[in-house]
Amino acid sequence: MTTVNSSEVLIDCQSVWKVFGDNAPAAIKAISERGLTKKEVLQEYNCVVGVSDANLQVRRGEIFCIMGLSGSGKSTLIRLLNRLIMPSLGKVLVKGRDIGSLKAADLRQMRARHIGMVFQSVALLPHRTVLENAAFGLEVQGIPLAERNRTAEMALAKVGLSDWLKRYPGELSGGMQQRVGLARAIASDPEIILMDEPFSALDPLIRRQLQDEFRQLTKDLGKSAVFITHDLDEAIRIGDRIAIMKDGLIIQVGTAEEIILKPADPYVAQFVAGISRLHLVKAHSVMTSVAEFQQACPGVDIRALLRTNPEADIDELITLTMMSDRDAVAVVDDDTIVGIVTPRGLLRSVSDGHTAELAHA
Amino acid sequence: MEGLDFAGTFDDIVDSGLGWLGDNAGALFELVRTVLEGFYGAVLWTLSLPPFYVIAIAFALLGWRVVGLRFGALAGVALVVCAAMGLWPETMSTLALVISATILALIFAIPAGVLTGFAPKVDRSLEPVLDLVQTLPPYIYLLPGIALLGYGPATALAATFVVAVPPAFRLTSLGIRMTPNEFIELGQSTGMTNWQMFSKIRLPFAVPSIMAGINQSLMMAFGMVVIAGIVGSGGLGETIYKAVRTLDIAKSIDGAIAIVILTIVLDRLTQGAARIGYGGGK
Ligand SMILES: Nc1ncnc2c1ncn2[C@@H]1O[C@H](COP(=O)(O)OP(=O)(O)OP(=O)(O)O)[C@@H](O)[C@H]1O
Ligand SMILES: [Mg+2]
Repeated sequence: MTTVNSSEVLIDCQSVWKVFGDNAPAAIKAISERGLTKKEVLQEYNCVVGVSDANLQVRRGEIFCIMGLSGSGKSTLIRLLNRLIMPSLGKVLVKGRDIGSLKAADLRQMRARHIGMVFQSVALLPHRTVLENAAFGLEVQGIPLAERNRTAEMALAKVGLSDWLKRYPGELSGGMQQRVGLARAIASDPEIILMDEPFSALDPLIRRQLQDEFRQLTKDLGKSAVFITHDLDEAIRIGDRIAIMKDGLIIQVGTAEEIILKPADPYVAQFVAGISRLHLVKAHSVMTSVAEFQQACPGVDIRALLRTNPEADIDELITLTMMSDRDAVAVVDDDTIVGIVTPRGLLRSVSDGHTAELAHA
Repeated sequence: MEGLDFAGTFDDIVDSGLGWLGDNAGALFELVRTVLEGFYGAVLWTLSLPPFYVIAIAFALLGWRVVGLRFGALAGVALVVCAAMGLWPETMSTLALVISATILALIFAIPAGVLTGFAPKVDRSLEPVLDLVQTLPPYIYLLPGIALLGYGPATALAATFVVAVPPAFRLTSLGIRMTPNEFIELGQSTGMTNWQMFSKIRLPFAVPSIMAGINQSLMMAFGMVVIAGIVGSGGLGETIYKAVRTLDIAKSIDGAIAIVILTIVLDRLTQGAARIGYGGGK
């Protein structure tokens, strides 16, 4: 996984709320004064809390996943990021500018140039060909026909649809349609792509392939993306960081590893329980300190151990341990040994939290 | 007694109102009449120019391209039947009336429908007016029509225009309002101007509804043909009206057959055109 070098924040969501319904202002007031829950707001004010108090930062070059079950507020949240929906409270900064206070022309410019969007429902125009659909964003920007067709053809080639330019969306399978939607977003060359469950309608095999392609493409092009999914596996596969939502709240934000090793609450723990850790947990989070290791095994010369880097995953660590004639692997960063991975540590890391609790009980 | 005669008073008001209009806005109505008759005359002149078989072949070809081979052939034959019944000039004059009234109605109804599509409030306040127009028996505005525009095609055209406006107007307005939300969001998220949103998203999605409106307007116009015959439209309407008054059953049935043929042919043609217009390639 590439590390994010630049920490420039592209999207900054500051305590954003969205409440749907006629009584929204009253409901907002009650929430801030009395701290009502989503359920209470629905009962007392007949208002639906779509997003409550969301804080998140999307940095340049990262793929930020938002994960949550159906109705948890994912689509609402992503629509707040390009102001398809106005927040009831709080603000959203895109590249440092508060999009809530942009003038109409500036907002259009921002959407046309900087933020692309791929919809959950794909939204291809049925009376236009695949090529015309892919070129749609450029057409809106007033790019001349020949040029926009060239760009759109390249975008379609990237998603493997070069042979389908003259077809209509109705003639394509669901997966191909979603790829056209992706090509349409890429063709406009935005810095940030918002994706609302773009792969949810696909069968698992195609889906994995598209996930890998999407991740590769985004990284190659140096784009940033906000990617919504209700599938944790997908979030882990694609995302540099993951936010987990429940009932409009963001419960936890972190890398896949952080979320799996330290779930913020039982709800998240339940989610991550079934996830294989082999490729997610890294040496730096399973190693013990050198001092601790030397206390436990005084006789061992740590300089003679096999070495690896802090980003090695459990799978690699197991292989190394098997190859080694000693019972430990040294983790080296910048030529200094920063920690030791023992078989005991490895075993602990692959079992989930539950068994550990059982052992204590 | 005098004070209680509401009906009489009302009649007086209407009469003097009409008289006042005729006296003071006579020039205006004269102009309207000239324009209406001129337009109708031009359409009729064009339709009467070629011999009947050229028109029949033209309809056959059009029917073939737009609907299908079988329909094209049937349409051609059916029009020849009109000629064979000795009603060709009347058929063309009815066609001219219906086409010119519908075109005028569309020129008014489609832009107006688009505008109200964007202004739901205006649309709501216009609804009762449209309801009134659609429920009012046409006989009621035929007489004032004659008073202002005279006996002849101008009044027939105006009466037909009045019934042809509401369907196209309503369905255009509906089509503009009913754009699926996902495509509105698509437009917004690509940074469209309002004009682009209209021309690239709202209008294309409204096309099927507008086409249905055009078809409905045309059908309403056909429904007025016989009534228009009463005010001197000429054509099949007047043929039937006269045949009814002289109890010439055969003639009235011939006229009815010709009207049915015209109606069905144009109905199917506009429906077919609507399908093509929307389907794009598929
Ligand atoms: N326009 C709206 N008006 C009223 N309530 C809405 C509206 N849009 C969303 N909601 C409500 O907000 C909540 C969150 O909806 P949202 O569409 O964001 O969920 P989601 O996480 O995207 O779900 P899914 O995975 O099914 O797409 C739901 O309870 C929904 O009923
Ligand atoms: Mg959603």
